[in-house]
Amino acid sequence: MRAGFLRYGPAILVGRLVRFAARLRKPGGGSAMPGLIVNNVAPGYLKRTLSGFPQGLVVVSGSSGKSTTTKMLVAVLRAHGIDVFTNPSTANISQGLTSALLERADWLGRVPGDVAVLEMDEGHGALVMQGVDARVVALTNVMVDQIDRFHDSDMVAGMLARIAVQAHESVVVNADDAYLERLAVQLRSDVAVHRFGVSQDVLDASPRGLGYTETSPERLAVGTGVRVTSVDGAEAVLDDGGTSVSIGLPARGTHYAVDAAAAYSTARAVLGERFSSTTAARALSEIPAVFGRGERVAVRGQDVEFVLVQNPASYQLNVDSIAPGTEQILFAIGSDVRDPSYFWPTDASSLGRVSIVSGSKAAEAALMLAYDGVEIDRVEPDLGRALDDFLAAPAPASGVKTIVFSADSMRRTRAHLGLTGAE
Amino acid sequence: MTLTIVSLLPSLQNTNGDAENAAVLAARARWAGLDAVVLPVERRGDLPARVDAIVLGSGDDSSLEAARAALGEFHDDLRTWGTEGVPILAVGTGWELLSWGVELRGERVVEGLGILPGRAVPRPSRMTGDLVVASSKFGTLVGFENHARDYVGAEGSPLGRVRAGSGNGRDSGQEGVVMGSVIGTHLHGPVLAKNPAFADALLGITAERAGLSYVPGERAAVVDGYSHAAREAQLAAARVAASAPDPLG
Repeated sequence: MRAGFLRYGPAILVGRLVRFAARLRKPGGGSAMPGLIVNNVAPGYLKRTLSGFPQGLVVVSGSSGKSTTTKMLVAVLRAHGIDVFTNPSTANISQGLTSALLERADWLGRVPGDVAVLEMDEGHGALVMQGVDARVVALTNVMVDQIDRFHDSDMVAGMLARIAVQAHESVVVNADDAYLERLAVQLRSDVAVHRFGVSQDVLDASPRGLGYTETSPERLAVGTGVRVTSVDGAEAVLDDGGTSVSIGLPARGTHYAVDAAAAYSTARAVLGERFSSTTAARALSEIPAVFGRGERVAVRGQDVEFVLVQNPASYQLNVDSIAPGTEQILFAIGSDVRDPSYFWPTDASSLGRVSIVSGSKAAEAALMLAYDGVEIDRVEPDLGRALDDFLAAPAPASGVKTIVFSADSMRRTRAHLGLTGAE
Repeated sequence: MTLTIVSLLPSLQNTNGDAENAAVLAARARWAGLDAVVLPVERRGDLPARVDAIVLGSGDDSSLEAARAALGEFHDDLRTWGTEGVPILAVGTGWELLSWGVELRGERVVEGLGILPGRAVPRPSRMTGDLVVASSKFGTLVGFENHARDYVGAEGSPLGRVRAGSGNGRDSGQEGVVMGSVIGTHLHGPVLAKNPAFADALLGITAERAGLSYVPGERAAVVDGYSHAAREAQLAAARVAASAPDPLG
């Protein structure tokens, strides 16, 4: 297949020039533009490159947890000595994906690596994956999210099914998600199905459930998949066919343990006999803390805790994890939440009082919090001003300043405060 | 006495947070100094002796038939409440199920409960976006729509005239349907929080039926400040000037 790449030379050159030009305009920034142009000049490039890795393509998709699962899977594979190509989580649609490939491509467009691990947006994945041959597809869950894009869970499950059918070797599914279980039983009989999930004890310890649109009535039986058997803060134990594997998580929370089980199970499917549970456990435990997930950062001389809310399930989990009585909270919802209706079934009453509500959807957010019985000191749609004032106020007598934000507000917050680091 | 706001079938009919309108009614009643509770009702046995208002939200299409079967138990109750003037707010598929019927693709029809006139019919593609409605009863209604079907047969008594968005569709220029105090609408999510005048009109009816009087509380004025700002932002996004008179009256 490599010889055939000669034909992509001119398109790659154009893509590179565009990338160079984009960098001149926006130093340090990535851009989807080179990918857009190469996709137009050489429409077969993405498909051919994705299908061309010697040990195949692994795709991770689902409503929630796909970034973390992808990051964990890549770490586990690399710890096994595998050369992995992967996409940054912001480049999970067609143009961004091609741009990400170009970053690593030689002048003929060839991308080095034994295996590609891609995080795929559930909406764009079905389209990008058309005609692409994947070896393994891992699916995390089906949750209510972005209802203006994904009208309901049936639609999300349908899109994930279209990604799953591109797997020729195996599909890895969350057995606790009833939508994914139904999807798994409809796959071709020559495609293996691997499962991960939590034990009944772990489920019982999550009073609001795991956030899936529909939770399976039964838990995975011992020996039928990788099970999360205990979660204690940022420590978890996985059960792999009778072997207990202790791991550290990048932040506290059962959903990180489930992501780890997904990554572990997928790595096992990819590596087969080369898989070592000891190596996997070490790699998982070494994953650095994830930005915006309950991590504490010193900013302008203040300790600040950042809490990212992405969908109703993570919103509820993360709001519940904020200590009641936390004195100073900044709550920012941005333009990524076009229609906040689907957040209304959540309950933020435990916050009690919020110092500033901000972001381009500040008024919508304030309205929702007010009906949850939360007192609001100030609504300030200008996030920059809100951040400046919030950080300038004296430190709270107890606890730390806590900033709750949607993904869009998180990006703006990081830019405003000059914070860098992993996505 | 305590006002009982029933949230009907919240386990199936709360996809877009529409069932939360029951909590909005109860909160505003409490802010006005009245006692009010929200009672989730999944089956007929859960019904209290007295029902003061009902909210029925929208669900997924895959559970349309299950929701129809569950609603069937309440057929006589819904008819009685409708006749007696108990306010019923039905949103999205919840509204469709109260109609004469829901036509699905491939000639399939889910028979409705026949509480509201008209029927839901397929449209070429799903409609999502801002929906702004001029209602003679409730003022300018602002919200979001997200529906796979149009609605025909509501021409006699719509909720209002569409100023932005699709509403009932089929070039009717209308949105929703009203029969007494039974209201069907595509405005999903927290429509009563976003449109306090609409909420207060329903609470006025609710209180009057219970021999009480409803005057919005002080807290409502603060919270309505947030809804005013959210409405202005959405009206600007939908390119409808809030203060402009409706050209069609």
